[in-house]
Amino acid sequence: MQHFALEQALNYLIQTGEIDLKPLDNKTIRFSLQDLPLDVNFVCTNDRIFVISDTSRNSDVDISLGAGVFFALFKGDDLTELLRQDKIVIHGDVKTAQLLVDLLQSVDIDLEEALSQYTGDIVAHKAGKIAKNFKKIAQNSSNPLDAIKDSLSALLITPTVSKLYKNDHH
Amino acid sequence: MDNTTHFGFKDVATEDKQNLVKGVFDSVASKYDLMNDVLSFGAHRLWKRYTIASSNVKTGDKVLDIAGGTGDLAIAFRKKVGESGHVILSDINAAMLGEGRKNLINKGVFGVDFVQLNAQYLPFADNSFDCVSIAFGLRNVTDKDQALSEMHRILKPGGCLLILEFSKTDSEFLKKFYDFYSFNVMPTLGEIIADDKESYQYLAESIRKHPDQETLKDMVLDAGFGFCEYHNLSGGIVALHKGIKV
Repeated sequence: MQHFALEQALNYLIQTGEIDLKPLDNKTIRFSLQDLPLDVNFVCTNDRIFVISDTSRNSDVDISLGAGVFFALFKGDDLTELLRQDKIVIHGDVKTAQLLVDLLQSVDIDLEEALSQYTGDIVAHKAGKIAKNFKKIAQNSSNPLDAIKDSLSALLITPTVSKLYKNDHH
Repeated sequence: MDNTTHFGFKDVATEDKQNLVKGVFDSVASKYDLMNDVLSFGAHRLWKRYTIASSNVKTGDKVLDIAGGTGDLAIAFRKKVGESGHVILSDINAAMLGEGRKNLINKGVFGVDFVQLNAQYLPFADNSFDCVSIAFGLRNVTDKDQALSEMHRILKPGGCLLILEFSKTDSEFLKKFYDFYSFNVMPTLGEIIADDKESYQYLAESIRKHPDQETLKDMVLDAGFGFCEYHNLSGGIVALHKGIKV
């Protein structure tokens, strides 16, 4: 569930042509944060991305880094420099890793808010993350009502989260 | 080899299950949507909406909805794939498919094909669909492994399987409430609204006999899918399994 918004945002950008997935076609990239329980595979296939929590299958590249480095990366720090400082561990093709980082950097997402679920603030994460991404989608979508309904559904079917939802979180 | 399978809590001859399930859906077809709304308090619409949103289906895609019944998913998929895409609404049961056709026509949705089929023998070429979905249908399939294998065969590499199905909740409180609700309230409502208590008793029993989340995940992977994950919805009363063919 927690990867829903990221997957939606990435695929939206692919469909609108804002990001090009061809260089990553048929690549599986495992992305894990060392100090937080975030461990997912980005499966790039059939001209779309699946963000999947199933990491049992071998990936083409493994990227492992701390949460602080993760933020730095998305604030524009250079991957090569972070690699040189041993702040990121990459097993596999570095070029593929760079392509994924480029792609993630193009997504308008508040990462600190997105990661807040792992530091305790589940509500802020889920509500904020979904709302932020879908705000953009809704603005551009030919059918914004559907996009908003989709995001609301994701909240409503997890009532233990949504009952705590407060508007002032984002 | 054991030649029996379950039909709800009963053991029946394997070859008989299909007809018994057919009897259930022949009986409930005309009231299916109404009963879904009543029994799930409308939540089935949210579960299905989440399924569609998770599908990553896009313009031009080819989608097969199995056990599609009254066509909720097919209608939503049709919007997503647009004119250049292709959606097939399928069901083993002619009465349900007829309800689906009526529903789509009433809602002004055209461009969806209807196919009566058995999920265990899909009449389509290998590698031909971007997405295959089955919502609240897999538990009624006699040989689930064979059906999953067929779904894998017809999906393109990179294609996505979506299985929305009742599942198991971890919450003790929810479990107690849900047991009481499904074995007492559901059959009674079935009798009052659809004049059919037995079918809704079967519904409650068939849910309990359906594989739990982890078991179904293993079945999806065993069918050949490269990845599978599931998302619990409404506390695990329902789960969405998503398999990716690699």
